[in-house]
Amino acid sequence: MKKFVSILGVLLILGCEPFVTEFPDTSDAVPYEATSKSNVSYTGGNIKVVTWNIRFGIARFPFFGDSCGDDVILDDDTIEQNMAAIADSLNAMDADIVLLQEVDVSSKRTGYMDQVQYLLDHTNLNYGCYASMWKADFIPSDGIGRINAGNAILSKYELTEAERIQLRLRTDQDGLTQYFYLRRNIIKAKIPELSQDGKDLFAINIHATAFATDDTKQQHIDKYVETLAEIHDVGALFVTGGDLNSVPPGSVTDFCESDMCDGEDYHTDEAEKYHKEGSYFENFEAEPDILLPLYNAYNSAIDSADANLPVHFTHGPSTSYEINDIKYDRKLDYLFTNGGWVDGISQTHQDAWELSDHLPVSAVLFAGDN
Amino acid sequence: MMKRIISFLILTGFLFSETRNWDAHSAYLLPQKRWEMGLFQPFRYGYSENLEYSVYPLWFFVLPNFSIKKPQNDLAGFTTATQYKLVYPTPFLNMIAKSGTMGIIPPEFQMPPMLGLSSTWLMSKNMGGLDLTLNGGIDVGIAFGELDTRSTVDLPLVYHRLGVYYNKWGIHSGADVQKNMTEKIGILADVDLRLLPGLKGNYSLEHKLLISWHKSENFRIMTGYKFVMGEYPYGSDMRLLPYIPMAEAWVPIIELQWGKSRK
Repeated sequence: MKKFVSILGVLLILGCEPFVTEFPDTSDAVPYEATSKSNVSYTGGNIKVVTWNIRFGIARFPFFGDSCGDDVILDDDTIEQNMAAIADSLNAMDADIVLLQEVDVSSKRTGYMDQVQYLLDHTNLNYGCYASMWKADFIPSDGIGRINAGNAILSKYELTEAERIQLRLRTDQDGLTQYFYLRRNIIKAKIPELSQDGKDLFAINIHATAFATDDTKQQHIDKYVETLAEIHDVGALFVTGGDLNSVPPGSVTDFCESDMCDGEDYHTDEAEKYHKEGSYFENFEAEPDILLPLYNAYNSAIDSADANLPVHFTHGPSTSYEINDIKYDRKLDYLFTNGGWVDGISQTHQDAWELSDHLPVSAVLFAGDN
Repeated sequence: MMKRIISFLILTGFLFSETRNWDAHSAYLLPQKRWEMGLFQPFRYGYSENLEYSVYPLWFFVLPNFSIKKPQNDLAGFTTATQYKLVYPTPFLNMIAKSGTMGIIPPEFQMPPMLGLSSTWLMSKNMGGLDLTLNGGIDVGIAFGELDTRSTVDLPLVYHRLGVYYNKWGIHSGADVQKNMTEKIGILADVDLRLLPGLKGNYSLEHKLLISWHKSENFRIMTGYKFVMGEYPYGSDMRLLPYIPMAEAWVPIIELQWGKSRK
């Protein structure tokens, strides 16, 4: 009997990993290093930062979850080609710090490619950290299967104190859906080599909720602002950004009709849902101005006066081009700092539109010329 | 002369085919006219002294399946038998290839007509109070059409059983040990290996331990665990089953089995 209990105990330990990973409020982010590092050291000077939601390397694929498509799994060869193109794009931008969202590290939908490791091994970036927002043995819906996707920070320089901060879950879902759904997070890391005048430099990356119809987005932005304030209040420096899934103040807030797919119906009394999830940005009263605290407290790479200009749009659903000839029609991706950006060279890279349904935004933190 | 020898050996094998209750995994057949079934075990029927067939009746309508077991000549003191299985998984797989909840396979994949064939050699012997069964066999998966490798179901128990259709063939072997601790209580432990040479995720090792309580010849309850480890497309993995996802907890197997001998 004792032997049986011992054997069962060992098997319980070995074979009872969580089926769906639920994260604590804070935890360590997963560290990464390039297999072969580029020889680079910081000798002072400005620091280039990029944020990019790379849509797990599927480019403009008609994925069921975020477009009018029905498909789930892209073939491995095309994923590899797309990731190679993303790596080339990152190399061309030559950023010191890259904030990535929607990165897969072990997902059936992308052939179990570890995209963080891939990018570190195919770019001039040397270090990374990763925070999963969706980790499950199997998602029994739409054939998604095994999934591990999240946010990453990549850097030429070593990252320390990398931390994952859990954001509040949606409350507009039933328990079963919530259990199998995304668990959004903020990931932050310190980059000791890039300290400026004794001030630590932090990179903070967020991918806020996209489809919530309750106040989850407000909770996410509030937590984001709180996290930035904690760093700012101790006198440290940060660069931050990500896919905030929020439009700039003064923007159009209703994209339901332009995002509508065949067979869908919105803005009618007969419609099952009046607004399309993820396409409407007035789910609660404060939502249109949800980013004002960030614009008021910190410096945006793209000034608020220019944020709603078409040249700075960063997103359009991947099938919008085929349906409505729209490549991108709203800004959802941002960079902020409590330092200063070099004037005139912040950029929204709309030439990369074929590589994702989001566009990269780059800016240069002023740290003195080389 | 040779014909007589062969006929004698075949007849001897038939005459000495052993039958037993509650021994689905072994080389022993069910006694003639006895049926057995369980919550997780197929319906088995001792059609004759030389033929037992089995089918998963509830699954049959979406996953047609059939199996027969036939005695063979004793070998080195072991009672032997061969078991042949046939399964047609396509209707069920296409049911779960859908969008929305319980879409297990992505909806863009339609599974072609497929046939699974399995042949197993079983050898059983009582050794010092322990009933030992060894088995080994070959599996063949025939797909009558294109089968996309992205349509696999990467879950324990499932991946390697369906893997035979992607890999076209596989081999399996295993060993069972069973012992009656008392008149009413028994214990069964087994290990089964599946190999799919050349497939990404090419093996699984399954082990279970069950304790059974025989209320009567017609009913018994079993409880225990199943442990699975193997190589999958995403790497190595292991899992203790049954596992309840939302509770994030293992729960013991509860298997109820019924049997009856027709007069």
